[in-house]
Amino acid sequence: MTALPQVDHTAIRTNQAVIIGLNLLAFILDLPVLVGVTGLVMLLGTLFKRPGFGFIYQKILGPAGFLRPNLVEDNPEPHRFAQGFGSVFLLAGALSLTLGSNLLGWTLVWVVIALAALNLFGGFCVGCAMYYWLNRMNVPGFVKSPLPGTVPGMRPGREEK
Amino acid sequence: MNPLLIRVLLTIGLLVLGLGAYWLANRMIVYRAGRKHNGLEGTIAGKPAVLYFTMEGCVPCKTTQRPALEKLSALVGSQVQIIEVDVVAKPELAESWGVLSVPTTFIIDSLGRPRRVNHGVALAEKLLNQLEQVTGRKLVSSEARETVEIHVTTSGMD
Repeated sequence: MTALPQVDHTAIRTNQAVIIGLNLLAFILDLPVLVGVTGLVMLLGTLFKRPGFGFIYQKILGPAGFLRPNLVEDNPEPHRFAQGFGSVFLLAGALSLTLGSNLLGWTLVWVVIALAALNLFGGFCVGCAMYYWLNRMNVPGFVKSPLPGTVPGMRPGREEK
Repeated sequence: MNPLLIRVLLTIGLLVLGLGAYWLANRMIVYRAGRKHNGLEGTIAGKPAVLYFTMEGCVPCKTTQRPALEKLSALVGSQVQIIEVDVVAKPELAESWGVLSVPTTFIIDSLGRPRRVNHGVALAEKLLNQLEQVTGRKLVSSEARETVEIHVTTSGMD
């Protein structure tokens, strides 16, 4: 088996926590623009192959000593796919809210909150599971297979310090 | 009613709902494990246990979970049995217990019924609290909790 790249799961989890926090804030304060900005940052993160809000960890929380790296042998592609998927949901949600479809818009936002929370607290990444599912169906572009000994989508236990 | 208050209440309600769903999912895993579990040869009847699923190459298992179990073992002595299962060596057993990732620990009561599940690392204090909840009695004194030496060796893992 070829060596897997190391993925810093602290950056991913910080990203999820910020996404949850911003979307909750957007819902409570009724700020569709914040949903759009969050979705846009996630989309940019996906395009630049990094967690959208990972900079908060890399530039602030990490150097300040609040968080430590958690390097895990993992495929980064499913996480990017999950983030991109979430960004599409949020951008669609922001668009719906702007067009006046509040129920649809906030439902999409809450789906993202729920899935990010499931990943952050439960260790299960639905977007990653979908990626591996598409891989099993031989969909072009989805080339990475699940790690041996792990359930597709579950956070792997292997890590390097 | 103030729209902001409605949104705050809705948020709290949905968060509680989410936590409830998570709790329910864990209960279902424990229930399912209780209905299907088998293959734990060598266990001592009438004694509560910690069932620990691990695998070679799982670094958190070595660096955190194993020392936590060693600390627990030092605290409770022979009152509790600790059973270790390698999920790669016994995949059917791991599947029948609904193990999704390692480390996973189950707290089993003295009747052999799984009562709690921990996904990911569970520290000694948490495991001890769960064991005491399940057995309904204090397993160690407060002083013993504080004075016990914390072992951080990883020998015997592989």
